[in-house]
Amino acid sequence: MLVVAAAILIAGALFFVFFVREKDLPAPAPQSPFQHLDDRKAAIYENLRDLQFEYRLGKLSEEDYQKTKAELQRELARILAEIDALKQKLGVLPRGRSAAVAPSPAPTPARGFTCPHCGATFDRELKYCGECGKPMTPGAST
Amino acid sequence: MENLGSLAILLALCLSGYAILASLVGKWRDKPLLVLSAERAVYGIWALLTIASGILVYSLITGDFRLAYVAGHSNRAMPVFFKFAAWWGGMEGSLLLWAWILSSYSALVVFTNRFRFRDMMPYVVAILMAVQCFFLLLISFPENPFQVLAVGKGITEVPDGNGLNPLLQYWAMVIHPPMLYLGYVGFVVPFAFAMGSLITRQPGDAWIHTTRRWTILTWGFQSAGILLGAGWAYAVLGWGGYWGWDPVENASLLPWITATAFLHSVMMQEKKGMMKVWNMVLISATFFLCIFGTFLTRSGIVGSVHAFAQSPIGKYFVAFLAIGIAATIYLILDRLDYLKSEAHLESVLSRESSFLFNNLILLASCFAVLWGTIFPVISEAVTGEKISVDAPFYNRVNVPIGLFLLFLTGVGPLIAWRRSSIESLKKAFLWPSLLGLSVMAALLIAGVRHFYALMSFGLCAFVLATILMEFWKGSRAIAAKTGQNLLLAAVELTHRNTRRYGGYIVHMAIVFMFIGFTGSAFNLDSTNEVRVGDKFSIGRYELKVRDLLDGDNDNYAWRRAVIDVYIGGRQVATLNPEQRVYKASRQSTSEVSIRRRLNEDLYLNFAGVTNDGRNLAIIQSYVFPLVSWIWIGFVTLLFGTAICLIPSKVKMQYARTEVVGYVERHAAVTK
Amino acid sequence: MWSGMRQLQNRLLLILTAGLCMAQSSTEYLTPAVRRVGEKLACLCGACKNTVASCQMLGCHYAGPAREKIAKMLAAGMSDQAIIDEFVRKEGLRALAVPPLEGFNLLGWVMPFVAIGIGLAGIYLFIRRFHKPAVASAPTDAALLDKYHEQIEKDLAKLD
Repeated sequence: MLVVAAAILIAGALFFVFFVREKDLPAPAPQSPFQHLDDRKAAIYENLRDLQFEYRLGKLSEEDYQKTKAELQRELARILAEIDALKQKLGVLPRGRSAAVAPSPAPTPARGFTCPHCGATFDRELKYCGECGKPMTPGAST
Repeated sequence: MENLGSLAILLALCLSGYAILASLVGKWRDKPLLVLSAERAVYGIWALLTIASGILVYSLITGDFRLAYVAGHSNRAMPVFFKFAAWWGGMEGSLLLWAWILSSYSALVVFTNRFRFRDMMPYVVAILMAVQCFFLLLISFPENPFQVLAVGKGITEVPDGNGLNPLLQYWAMVIHPPMLYLGYVGFVVPFAFAMGSLITRQPGDAWIHTTRRWTILTWGFQSAGILLGAGWAYAVLGWGGYWGWDPVENASLLPWITATAFLHSVMMQEKKGMMKVWNMVLISATFFLCIFGTFLTRSGIVGSVHAFAQSPIGKYFVAFLAIGIAATIYLILDRLDYLKSEAHLESVLSRESSFLFNNLILLASCFAVLWGTIFPVISEAVTGEKISVDAPFYNRVNVPIGLFLLFLTGVGPLIAWRRSSIESLKKAFLWPSLLGLSVMAALLIAGVRHFYALMSFGLCAFVLATILMEFWKGSRAIAAKTGQNLLLAAVELTHRNTRRYGGYIVHMAIVFMFIGFTGSAFNLDSTNEVRVGDKFSIGRYELKVRDLLDGDNDNYAWRRAVIDVYIGGRQVATLNPEQRVYKASRQSTSEVSIRRRLNEDLYLNFAGVTNDGRNLAIIQSYVFPLVSWIWIGFVTLLFGTAICLIPSKVKMQYARTEVVGYVERHAAVTK
Repeated sequence: MWSGMRQLQNRLLLILTAGLCMAQSSTEYLTPAVRRVGEKLACLCGACKNTVASCQMLGCHYAGPAREKIAKMLAAGMSDQAIIDEFVRKEGLRALAVPPLEGFNLLGWVMPFVAIGIGLAGIYLFIRRFHKPAVASAPTDAALLDKYHEQIEKDLAKLD
């Protein structure tokens, strides 16, 4: 009885640990290459919000407020520039503002890939929409 | 049965070793299946340890006294509740609980991150499993909970066990160790993520965001564990002390202090990307102090009341600590470039500086406690003569440090980030300072001459005022905007930034506790030998012994005094202090009787009977002013911690609209 | 008398507690003077970190007799210091509640404050290294800010 239980225990443990198949592999979650920059950006916006609120409560002087605000905005601009630089490097160019950063031919709807959720178009196939972030099914091009 | 338990532990040990190798090799050779198999092993260990723990608990409850552990920590007459608690009543069982909690945490970490951090997770798993492997090594060989008594070698049957130490048969003591372990073990997770991100040089502070809740929750568990221990000591040990500066108590305080420092300084990294090296050092120090605390409790290196029996596992711990600390220091030094600060200090008068001082003071008190704990050992090694480092040392060193910390608790939150001016500080501090000073003046007039007590009460008033002003100003601003009433606005305010306002509530809890600690400067005590009908008094209380009773049940024999309490001739309460003698272990305990009030506790202890032939009952009576505020602070602390764990209402939509349009590398799918 | 008025129903209790309660109520010796001296002496019972004055364990095999001894010595006209010296002569330095302020043991007192000093120096160095008042806004910064100004303002409006 004991031997049987021990055998079951060992066999169960070994089977569970070693019997891994290809299809058991988890599909990796989409990991945005912008994640750390987004986090920084979020932190700065959070700081700005805090600053505004504390200023409203009278915790800091007008002068300090303006100084810190200007600083935070400069930092924000730097992060935004970094994001755009990274976008350019990765070849992700949604329409809109970034077009001004790196002048490229505006994607024509006829040849581009359109997001089924928000209608944004891109000049290459993307797994996730650059505007709304939802998955773009392949073949959704118009 | 017990063989099955031993087998489960042994199998878990093998799996933990396998998990370390598999996840590292899988990562280095880029074999995701191997990494997945290592993660399976983590779940497997959890299942195996659950089986082992189940078997141990089953043996304890059914009273399988063939097992040394069961015979040593359980007996037939014990209530089931305490039989279950005997799981962590002794060295072997408590190490099993440690390992089981760690395996549960590890399984939870692996499960919640199964799709995330694919590049970092193998290292996280390896670190978690290295710690797991160490503890499984301990319970597999030197401290196996399934050791069988030498039944069959002369001893044919063990009729009953020794029972759980009667001092531990109290509800707070049943929850205290698991809470403390949940806290101790919990810091392994942030540590593993910190090291993982250090090894893989993760961009940004992902490890901090991921482990933020862990850290707060774990800190909450640890605080609860420490305070439950204090509450237990107060209500059970019979002399009304809640903190005795015992090495084991100190051991639980040390990681709590560094964790508190970490919770504060990590804000600098989140907000400004500063102090990255320091935060690594703090989280590592917290983790290693947790291990050190476990070591101190179990190795017998320093004498202590509640240390477990002396045992040979000390050298295992020393080896583990040495290797772990060396590896961590190497990693941090090797990757200093990755930990470079991203920002500057704009002004010396800023929140940032206040955090620096907060960290300094916290670490100074941590060092003072650590130093006091190990100094007798050092001094004896150097001078050859034993010395004592007792409560007066800790009090003398830590009271001024604690008061300064209390001061910073009030000052820090009022200084703005980046820069602040003297003018705005003057404005912010005017009313709280006035309040603090007037409290001190009032107490001075009322006749209080104790210097530290005056300082402490003054600072408590000051800090409380700053915190309430924060809430009041914030709620008023919100109320003005939304038209809500102030109470709703305060809820809204807290909901908008739960971590900050939850933190303020925790600060308030600390103030309450300081009020309670300060009360101890005015304790009264007296001991009386009495018979039925005798009267005695303490403070403003008149006590009259109405009756003395005795009796027994299966578990223990008892005697009890029935004492009426009068204030100014009016009866206000009847207290029943009791003494018990447990039959199985022949140990006696006090069931003290306490009249708890916000201003002071009246505390009676039936200490014994004189043996000079007169058979008088010895009643120790105490008055403990303000001690209830410590427990009020405890509840407030739990409340504040819970608030910190609620996600803030404002989601950062503006950060999320970022382009995610990027084709995922097929990194993890290659075989 | 208690057991006279009601017979102890429980013989077992008496047997069990016989060894435990050797209660010579030691606190009767705890006069203010004894307390004053006792506060400087460690309780060496091995189970607590208290002083002879603050140990509350009834029938403590160390604190009880120690108090008695202090009371006797005080009655004999010995000074506080002489009593403490007597204890140290008998038990060694561990009779003192805190490490003595001399020799190696001075380190016990000094180190926490040395640690604070080192910490302060560390803070000073940190501030010197990282303190950079009002970074002069570089021209590139200004250009960047101009470029993203519109977006930042838009996002900021969404903040509250």
